[in-house]
Amino acid sequence: MPEVARAEYLEELANLEASALGGLDLVSIALGRTLEAVEHQDVELAQLVVADDDRIDGRYLEVHQALITLLATQSPVATDLRLISSLLHVLKNIERMGDQCVNVCKVIPISGNEPPADREMVELILKMGRQTKALIMQAKRAFEGRDVEMAQDLVRQDDVVDNLNRDCFRLALELGDDADKREWAMTMLLAARALERTADNAVDIGEQVAFVVTGLFREFEDASHPSA
Amino acid sequence: MLGAATKKQKRSDSEPGAETGRGEMSESRPTPATSTEAAAVPGRRAKTIEVRAVDLFYGDFQAVEGVTMTIEPNKVTALIGSSGCGKTTFLRSLNRMHELTPGARVQGEVTLDGEDIYDGRVDPVAVRRLIGMVFQQPNPFPTMSIYDNVAAGLNLNAKKVSKTQKDGVVERSLRGAHLWEEVKDRLDKPGGGLSGGQQQRLCIARAIAVEPEVLLMDEPCSALDPVATLAVEDLIAELKNRYTIVVVTHNMQQAARASDVTAFFNLDETGKPGHLVEMGPTEEIFTNPKKKETEDYVSGRFG
Repeated sequence: MPEVARAEYLEELANLEASALGGLDLVSIALGRTLEAVEHQDVELAQLVVADDDRIDGRYLEVHQALITLLATQSPVATDLRLISSLLHVLKNIERMGDQCVNVCKVIPISGNEPPADREMVELILKMGRQTKALIMQAKRAFEGRDVEMAQDLVRQDDVVDNLNRDCFRLALELGDDADKREWAMTMLLAARALERTADNAVDIGEQVAFVVTGLFREFEDASHPSA
Repeated sequence: MLGAATKKQKRSDSEPGAETGRGEMSESRPTPATSTEAAAVPGRRAKTIEVRAVDLFYGDFQAVEGVTMTIEPNKVTALIGSSGCGKTTFLRSLNRMHELTPGARVQGEVTLDGEDIYDGRVDPVAVRRLIGMVFQQPNPFPTMSIYDNVAAGLNLNAKKVSKTQKDGVVERSLRGAHLWEEVKDRLDKPGGGLSGGQQQRLCIARAIAVEPEVLLMDEPCSALDPVATLAVEDLIAELKNRYTIVVVTHNMQQAARASDVTAFFNLDETGKPGHLVEMGPTEEIFTNPKKKETEDYVSGRFG
């Protein structure tokens, strides 16, 4: 028997995994630009992120189609099947994360060129964004290394994001009566919400890591039945 | 072949299709001890095969080593594994066909609902009637009519079966094999005139005509096209309601589609005996096998 049978198929599957996970790099770049746009109220950069989301969507469609083709032609089973199933999930997560960056970027012009920005609030959002970016890269490493422990740690990292999100909310309540400032705070809450959802998508990717490795799918945290 | 296997059976059975006491090994003379037990079982039901520490030999060559498994009734059990791993040999040991090969022998225990089929008092011919077999190549009697093909087992089995009874069995068996509608108007035509898929279903009809407890199938679809294959798989799915079914297949997708339980056989290297690596629910074997060896095989990484 040959050393490795189905070499081409295995190479194709490995390439598709790299391609799908490469989507996380695209998201990370988009998120970095998004944070920069928030920090400097840079409407043009925000528009660039919106336009560039086509690349993330393109990656999603391209790899998704190729995985479907593998399913149809190669009849993958066992770990291969679980990997393909999880990559289909991860691609969807990537696409959603890209869209959340777009959501943040779309609220920046609403707040105008010279918004009554509250420095503390912006700092909170940036902190959230950086933490989320770290989660995304950790999810990628966990997937690449099939590291369930690292994947489970995403839940802990996500708690940081959730707490920052609550801080944003509290701060928005305290920003006072000024109508413009309140409106700006509202848009920032939308941004915070989008980042919080992005981090949740990273946790979902961690769940897929556990599925690939163990064959058992379970949610790390159930939003409708929180443990704490 | 079932027909040949039943030829020597001494006792006649006036109603091969009847429900009572049929399909017991005790029907054959040498096992009087079990006949009362057989009578106590009302109607027929599929049976459990227990295999314990079975070793199979061809002369000095050991083909299979230390297989222990339980084959459950009303389930389709698929045996998979690369060529030469002994799965067909193992299948043939389940109805004592292995010993027909000169020099072949069996060690260990195979029981059908607790009765040792290798007990010295058991007539192997009776075992083969209870545990029918369908082969890789459809092998109807080519010049014999479709009707006589199905009735072959009965003719060899029983002294007197009335034409009416025989008609009933033939129709019931052909219906059971999903072939009746296609052949009902040409029952007197030769079996060799049917298509490959129809011939295989004819062989299945012939096998079930003598009302076995267990059906063994050795790559029943390997000579069939995809449509005929699906027809046979549908049939297998239905037959499991009445029989214990064991299928040897080289087709992973067939095992995945058509079986409830999958057993994976492998051998360490050519010349070494094959052994059972892993057995479990088919779903588990194909989504999350316990052993890497199984995983490598089902995902086509070797073999």
